[in-house]
Amino acid sequence: MSLETGSTSHPRWAPYVFLAPFLILFGVFTIYPLIQAVILAFQQTYGPNTTRFIGLDNFRYLFSDPLFWKALRNTAVYSCASVFIQLPFSLALALWLNHPKVKGRAIFRLIFFSPSLFGIVFVAMLFSLIFEKYTGLLNVGLHNLFGFSLEFPWLEEYTLTALILASLWMSIGFNMIYFLAALQGVSVELLEAARIDGANAWHRFFHVTLPQIQPVAAFVVLLSLIGSFQLFELPWILLGGGGPDNKGLTIVMYLYQTGFETGDLGYASAIGWILALILITMAVCQRTISKRFES
Amino acid sequence: MTTLIQVCKNLSLGTRVLLALAVFSSIGIVLWPASKQEGMDLWMFTRLHERLYIPLIAEWNTEHAKSPVHISLLSVPALERRLLSAFLSGTPAADLAEIIRETAAKTFSGPLDDIGFVDLTDRIHDEGIDKQIVEASFSPWTSRGRIFGLPHDVHPVALAYRADIIEAAGIDITKARTWSEFFHLLAPLMADTNRDGIPDRFILNYGIGNVDVTEALILQAGGSFFDPDDHPVIYTPLNARVISELVSWTEGPARAAVDAPEFSASGNKLKLDGFVLCSIMPDWLSGVWKNDLRGLSGKIKLMPLPAWDEGGLRTSVIGGTMIGVPKAAPNFEASWAVAKYLYLSPDNAARLFQEAGIITPIRAFWKNPMYDKPDPFFCGQPIGRTYINLCDRLPRRSASPFNFLAKQRMTDAMLTLRQYARETGDYSLAHLEPKASELLAQAQASVERQIKKNVFLREPATKPQKEESQTR
Repeated sequence: MSLETGSTSHPRWAPYVFLAPFLILFGVFTIYPLIQAVILAFQQTYGPNTTRFIGLDNFRYLFSDPLFWKALRNTAVYSCASVFIQLPFSLALALWLNHPKVKGRAIFRLIFFSPSLFGIVFVAMLFSLIFEKYTGLLNVGLHNLFGFSLEFPWLEEYTLTALILASLWMSIGFNMIYFLAALQGVSVELLEAARIDGANAWHRFFHVTLPQIQPVAAFVVLLSLIGSFQLFELPWILLGGGGPDNKGLTIVMYLYQTGFETGDLGYASAIGWILALILITMAVCQRTISKRFES
Repeated sequence: MTTLIQVCKNLSLGTRVLLALAVFSSIGIVLWPASKQEGMDLWMFTRLHERLYIPLIAEWNTEHAKSPVHISLLSVPALERRLLSAFLSGTPAADLAEIIRETAAKTFSGPLDDIGFVDLTDRIHDEGIDKQIVEASFSPWTSRGRIFGLPHDVHPVALAYRADIIEAAGIDITKARTWSEFFHLLAPLMADTNRDGIPDRFILNYGIGNVDVTEALILQAGGSFFDPDDHPVIYTPLNARVISELVSWTEGPARAAVDAPEFSASGNKLKLDGFVLCSIMPDWLSGVWKNDLRGLSGKIKLMPLPAWDEGGLRTSVIGGTMIGVPKAAPNFEASWAVAKYLYLSPDNAARLFQEAGIITPIRAFWKNPMYDKPDPFFCGQPIGRTYINLCDRLPRRSASPFNFLAKQRMTDAMLTLRQYARETGDYSLAHLEPKASELLAQAQASVERQIKKNVFLREPATKPQKEESQTR
């Protein structure tokens, strides 16, 4: 009854039977759609029964499509804001709420984390009311406090800013939890030793804390980037589509509009493959940079 | 077999139980007889229409007990997804579907032969239905010269105004024949008495983001997005003039419009507060206001839209619904009979107006005296007749699958034009029109590029359409 001798009480096909359920599901729901998506990217379609092979036309059109570039630019700006605004805020909050002298830390953690418990659709609906002209909470509040214009067009002209603010409110606490968990694993002895050696708070943060939470930070950055590039529901509900002049159009939204509103599944597949390539490239870059930092 | 038994013997008790459950439930599902619903399915998207159809369908079902009609009320996106999925994949759909213009246009993006609805052109002509109905009502359901749906409505557009405020100020707004006279007459009401930099009230409810109203105003001016052959005609001097004027309505020294969106609490509040004095109102919106803005009862009056130029068109069109028979419907004749029963019924037409303010597209029914009945919400005006008087001059609309795209590009052009005006500080038409032309040329190029990409629209129908519709 050992593998080396080759004698076994199970027939040779037994492993395949056990693997079969996964392989069938993986083949039907992952491999087949992937292959089909590759084929579709080279076709013009009107449903699966009416197709025309058009070669590289979808990709040619894509690279000269101003809307695609606009969607890519909007998504990139949102992603940058996620990484460079949202994550530092989350880390700052985590540092504050990890400090033993802060009273009521548990309550604050719950308060900051609670927005991420709401559904994205709910958050989008909420912010669509908050950002309203004349009657929205933000404009009315700012008007009463500072004489700010009631007509400030958050959703019309400051679309990405509005999106980033809504997303900040929703996600800041969620990322804070990751950083909090990482901070609790930072060696107290090392911090103490650095303090005795005369390192100030900034030095301790940059030379002791940050290197120790680096793997978690790298993971959060990657997660945040991937999440940002898949942004869809929040602007879809908040702006009712891409917003005025497509200022809130994201890549996934453009993919959805093309595939399911315009009905051009071929072009949508081409967009999907470009998005996949972007995400793979980002993941590879992030891994490479992380490894360099680790070494 | 013995090896299988041996494998089973090696499994734990729990695994054996799970395996047995999986096997028995699978057999059960396979053998369970699927219940098949007798009769016909009608998919629709509005509760209002459902409420109107229920008594009619109940009557139909008593007379046709063997083939009753079942109504399924779906949201617009759900109906659209189901219908398009069924059309695109060739799977069963409803026997009848009631849809809006945007959904219909999406079904027209493929080859003519593959459009999921039955071509009704010859039926409509042969049975003389085209002579009974306002011609413009067919346009949103007509692709490449073929009609795929029976129109539900006409949807003429008028102007609703706050008679209580305007008349109290001693202004006779009905004297305004053109938009410029209209804004000139009402300008005194835009004072900023509290000096907060925002007028106490605005004259017109309009925002650049409201694509349907923009389209209606362009159609009113005689412009369009597509010609009768569905070629884009966005880049025209007329369209450039209209969008330049619309931009100057929303910003700059001649600003007179504010966006108070329909179906929103904030928009409704602005209307109730008198922050906005006039709204562009299709017939269906009069019914919506009666339900949602009861506080305005007795304060509103209707008048024809001011024209763009002296003697110009005083109305336009917004919205629309059709009923169509999907090709997958097993019994076309039965579905067609139900469609005519619902859409050509005088009772339904009467209830449509009484409950929703919607004017039927069937001319013969317009003689009904109920259309002349004073409406207390509209200060006793007979709004049915006001709308009917506008019905014969309605502009034709395009059913192009790219109409929505064209509207979006037009809006983008207007937003860029507004930005240009803001940057240059000059909102005069002489300054804006050349830039508007340039932006519309870009918008047209963008739409043309998208159309060119669709190889199906360039293909002629392979089967003669007349023959196909007659075989059904």
